[in-house]
Amino acid sequence: MASRRVEENRVAFQRYKEDVKRDGKPFYPYAMFHDTVMSLVVVCVIVGLAFVWHYTSLLGPSLAAKADPGTVSFVPRPDWYFYFLFYLLRIFKWPNSVILGTVGIPTILLILALAIPFIDLRRERRLLRRPIAIVAAVLVALSMGVLTYKGATAKEALGAELLADVPNWVKSEQLPPQALPGAKLFATSGCLNCHTYQGVGGSQLGAPNLSAEGSKNKGITFQIAHLKCPSCVNKGSPMPSFAAFGNANLRKLAIFLEASKGPH
Amino acid sequence: MPRRRDRKEQMLAAAQYPLDWLEERSGLIGGLRYFLFRKVPGDSGWWHTLGSATLTAFLVQLGTGVILAMYYKPDPKSAYESVQHINNDVTLGWLVRGMHRWGASVFIILIFFHMARVFLFGAYKYPRELNWVVGVLLLPLALLEGFSGYLLPYDQTAYWATVVGININGTGPFIGPFLASFLRSGPEITGDTLSRFYSIHMLLLPGAILGLIGLHLYLVVRLGVSSPPWSPEAAGRERAEPPPVPGSGLVNPAPRGVTKRPD
Ligand code: HEM
Repeated sequence: MASRRVEENRVAFQRYKEDVKRDGKPFYPYAMFHDTVMSLVVVCVIVGLAFVWHYTSLLGPSLAAKADPGTVSFVPRPDWYFYFLFYLLRIFKWPNSVILGTVGIPTILLILALAIPFIDLRRERRLLRRPIAIVAAVLVALSMGVLTYKGATAKEALGAELLADVPNWVKSEQLPPQALPGAKLFATSGCLNCHTYQGVGGSQLGAPNLSAEGSKNKGITFQIAHLKCPSCVNKGSPMPSFAAFGNANLRKLAIFLEASKGPH
Repeated sequence: MPRRRDRKEQMLAAAQYPLDWLEERSGLIGGLRYFLFRKVPGDSGWWHTLGSATLTAFLVQLGTGVILAMYYKPDPKSAYESVQHINNDVTLGWLVRGMHRWGASVFIILIFFHMARVFLFGAYKYPRELNWVVGVLLLPLALLEGFSGYLLPYDQTAYWATVVGININGTGPFIGPFLASFLRSGPEITGDTLSRFYSIHMLLLPGAILGLIGLHLYLVVRLGVSSPPWSPEAAGRERAEPPPVPGSGLVNPAPRGVTKRPD
């Protein structure tokens, strides 16, 4: 015995089919006309964007420098439609809740999306009579929009400007002179693309603030090992390896990190 | 002038013949006729074009992608140079690459717009639940296309975004680390990573997307496009509550002519 709702659904769909058969219009040429116009608009927009990309700099360079795994400064930036995901990483801070941001929220959203037709079983389709659907749609659109915007405008740290900040760090952290080479390396090596230090740096990735990293007293050896292979030391860390810097440079960085006991 | 008439008929018959031939052996002509002349709700309009617009954007990606594949070399030593070659030397190469690059964005935007239209119209409700599910599966596949294609030009942005992207995969519980080392094809990004991404980007994912789009369109044609929620045609809801007529319960539809579409 089919339930009453199933019965009603079937009747309504039957009625839809009869109505459309009687009063509907043939797909060709009516709907197909709309589809064709819209498709032409889409192709024109795509071609237009290609032209803008080629002839202006509005859409950014067509190629950055060649990939170099050994470089020290880089800006890890995904394509814009991942900004909202990347920005989640700033909200769910490393390391405790990062899994929520990287895997948890996207998975939950996907499962929710899959479940929508099985949760919302009413036949009502008029928007004004579906308040929950309206609120949900507005919230989702708003949060994705805001996250994308924030991801797009998140500050990118530039090595040269950051270098000018090093004297301030020396003052506020009371860094010893032997930490200075490491501080300069730290400012110019791309660390601050993901991390923050004394209020500078930090991009979309939400890696931890390192201003007081040294107060954990993990030791030089640990710091070097971590820089060589972050995920070997912190299981699951998304930080890239900096082994290509060489031992001497890594030691400088480690000394600087251990000397960073936080602002005084 | 009976003769001339005969000739015209003969010509028509001759033109008709290959179609009849094909129809008799495959039924394809009948299928096409069914597709083209099936009825859609009288008040379906511009909102309903977002799906086919998405399809168009995908086809642009297929077409431009095939051309790019003729010049692109998935090898860390030559990938960057081959993209430069496409940009600078190949006739209209910049256009094809630009269309592929920005077509990806347009494709993703259109998927979201189409999804929003389906959601706001309540078009995911009975009997179209399955088509919604197919659609939701298409969404991450499209995003993964974007992710896997991003590495291919092998410039600094591409490389480092992918390093971090893969590492983020690695934070996932249980399968995360395996997924990350699968994508990387080892502990580091190497030449194998690039060709692996290339294969995923141009064989695995497009194949999966194409298959799902086929299923999606099959369901659209089979179930019919839903009418807009404001439609006076039965939009899968009660009409303006027709007066009860003896003998018309839930099983027997209300008699015709209770509400009429404004002409
Ligand atoms: C590659 C991506 C996609 C393509 C090419 C595509 C294509 C289409 C086309 C051509 C239609 C016909 C009606 C219309 O245009 O609105 C349609 C309908 C539909 N699509 Fe998609 N679609 C895609 C993704 C999605 C997504 C992400 C969802 C939802 C999560 C979705 C859900 C639906 C549903 C439920 C219908 C039936 C709507 C109705 O009958 O009114 N599709 N799709």
